[in-house]
Amino acid sequence: MTVRFVFDAAAGLAILFACVMVVHRNPIKSVLALVVSFFALAVTYVLLAAPLIAAVQVIVYAGAILVLFLFVLMLLNVPQEVRQRPDRPIHQALSAGAIVAFAAALLAVLRGYGVTPAIPVAEPPPPGDLTPVAKLLFSDHLLSFEAVSILLLAALVGSFVLARREGSP
Amino acid sequence: MTANGIPLGDVLLASGALFVIGLAGALLRRNAISIFLAIELMMNAANLAVLGYAAALHSLEGQIVVFFVIAIAAAEAAVGLAIFVALFRHTETIDVNQINLLKW
Repeated sequence: MTVRFVFDAAAGLAILFACVMVVHRNPIKSVLALVVSFFALAVTYVLLAAPLIAAVQVIVYAGAILVLFLFVLMLLNVPQEVRQRPDRPIHQALSAGAIVAFAAALLAVLRGYGVTPAIPVAEPPPPGDLTPVAKLLFSDHLLSFEAVSILLLAALVGSFVLARREGSP
Repeated sequence: MTANGIPLGDVLLASGALFVIGLAGALLRRNAISIFLAIELMMNAANLAVLGYAAALHSLEGQIVVFFVIAIAAAEAAVGLAIFVALFRHTETIDVNQINLLKW
């Protein structure tokens, strides 16, 4: 069982559950499918020699962001999307055409880029040593790091202001 | 190519497939939160491509970029969901066909 086989299996699982997410009409089940998809993506991140990002993916994405989605969905009690005739079928047709055209263009670019003689990805190093990433993050990218902390504070205050009731303190 | 290596083509193909699925979800769903989920999926597809290139080029910069993308996705999710809560309180729906205040 090679690394490539594991990667392809995990990526296939991620794609499969992404399809489930898009096709499902019940948004709660969509979120749960996306959680599975993100776990599978975390496996691919480990294989691509990024164990820190894999951990962040599981803790922040699957653990915090998607749980926030689930929380809001249950708070709002969003009904299941009902099947209805599109009131503007031209829009649906245009959207489907755009998706197919985009997929075709992407495939053409990948083929033109020479996917088959690919750059091999190195063996993943043993996980556990985060020192190189941390050194890079807190030296070259320190300013971006601080900017992100301010962004998160602004998002916190902004979401509080947006979601509170009118007239409440 | 080493016997155990992952070809970059596999990574890019998986990333492209996930991006197209996310695009389809964003364009075809009518529930605003489902559209938002599809956008999260598209961001993850981009992250996968970045990490693939970072691994192929033996660079750590890609991991830093993905780290910041995840942080910004968290901020975006918080603000977006707050907007949906405010919208739902106002209009009792998050069906994007019925939210047409800014449509012309």
